[in-house]
Amino acid sequence: MASNLSEDILWFISRGNHATLVKRKTAGGIQFSRDPLNLTNLHAKKYEGYANDRAIGIQPNPDGGLTLLTKKPNKANKPGLEINAASYGAGKSSRRTYKSIVNSTAKKGYRADLRTEAVARASAIRQLQRKKKDAKPAKLRGGKAAKAAA
Amino acid sequence: MSSRPTVTIISPDGKPSSNTHPLPEVFKAPIRPDIVQSVHTGMAKNKRQPYAVSEKAGHQTSAESWGTGRAVARIPRVSGGGTHRAGQAAFGNMCRSGRMFAPTKVWRKWHAKINLGQKRFATASALAASASAPLLFARGHRVQAVPEVPLVISSTAFSGAAITKTSAALALLKAVGAAADVEKVKLSKKTRAGKGKMRGRRYRQRRGPLVVYAPEEDGRELTKAFRNLPGVETSSVYDLNLLQLAPGGHLGRFVIWTSAAFAALDKIYGSTTEASTYKKDFLLPSALVKTPDLGKLINSSEIQSVLRPVKGGAITKRTQVQKKNPLRNKQILFRLNPYAIQYSNDKLGSLKAESGKPKPKDAGFLKQVHEN
Repeated sequence: MASNLSEDILWFISRGNHATLVKRKTAGGIQFSRDPLNLTNLHAKKYEGYANDRAIGIQPNPDGGLTLLTKKPNKANKPGLEINAASYGAGKSSRRTYKSIVNSTAKKGYRADLRTEAVARASAIRQLQRKKKDAKPAKLRGGKAAKAAA
Repeated sequence: MSSRPTVTIISPDGKPSSNTHPLPEVFKAPIRPDIVQSVHTGMAKNKRQPYAVSEKAGHQTSAESWGTGRAVARIPRVSGGGTHRAGQAAFGNMCRSGRMFAPTKVWRKWHAKINLGQKRFATASALAASASAPLLFARGHRVQAVPEVPLVISSTAFSGAAITKTSAALALLKAVGAAADVEKVKLSKKTRAGKGKMRGRRYRQRRGPLVVYAPEEDGRELTKAFRNLPGVETSSVYDLNLLQLAPGGHLGRFVIWTSAAFAALDKIYGSTTEASTYKKDFLLPSALVKTPDLGKLINSSEIQSVLRPVKGGAITKRTQVQKKNPLRNKQILFRLNPYAIQYSNDKLGSLKAESGKPKPKDAGFLKQVHEN
């Protein structure tokens, strides 16, 4: 990062106005973020990918499974090379996925403060990707049941 | 970080070449959104043309007040008869066909003078911000595929009027990964809300990359090649404009430099110690605080050495805590009554009373009670 810029300055410049910022007047003026490198989607210094040299993002893959994104701090001025992506397939069990995520980030000292959030997001994505069970057919009652039995 | 970082020059085919250029000093100027915003506000005013309502509007009638006694308001009323207009109120801003309140005048103060030093500071600041990829993303530029920020393309791509056709210009942008930003602009074109539509501002769209060239080395043909690409603007490096470097007062315009233009920057802006060749009495501004990283500052030995030690330590008595009920909360009870620990461990609270019937009193007892 250039000598006239730091995480803190970046955050103070762009916290009020950012392409990924979603401001709503409802719910007490809550502010969300569309940053792919934001684990909680909350617009906060800790969670915003652009406001941290190191950041973690977890995104669902279109064909199940998920992708772990991390930022390379020494490639801050090379957007094409900045993001490291690691994919975890749909076949990998959820617990092993969380373990891989934690092993490759928090346990290596890469944003250990985001461990819970990373696992929570991966878990939420896995839950979403689970195939919904079909609703049970309603049990017939009264006249309809009698008709069906006949 | 090396003391003099360099920027790779991208060859016309989009691959990083082996040539580099040291980062011009202007990119180390302090990034000050406050200055950029206030200068932008002023500069944006300077292209305005005066407008006003007609001087006569609402006064082209010979209305006179009827005075009191006619059971109507004393507002001037149109004289005469034989038409519906006669007797109607006139002139006032509350009247139909009256003049507006405080009619606009052409001698309104349309333009704003901005101090030259501030303008130069703002330009340098906006240029410095254009070298930060996170700030480009913050403005919404699609620079994911760009090999490096600031993006410097070798001037060989433009030499000998190589880029005169829009197709060639687009191919170049595609090669360097800037086409996504043009595509974003193309998709963003929307009809403007409001009356601007009928005043020559029919559509609104995002801004794309700004191509900065050096006219002597690169020629001016490229402006014609780029001008029909939506959102793409071109500018000579010698007359960079804050309105283009920070549209809307927001820092982080995506700037594509030709290597000749990039090389000219040090000449144009000088440094914090060497005066600029072209700008009279101009030295680049320097930051008041050398280290922009707050964490580094706070944890530096200079600051830590003058801080008083933390009071209390690991166990600190907290004042202002919620009162807990010792009858429900065992830990609080133990704090108040240390014997309660023993009482609880021995389960004294749940001991049965000693078993067996009470011993009968001896025979003399009742007799003694009833004795008078």
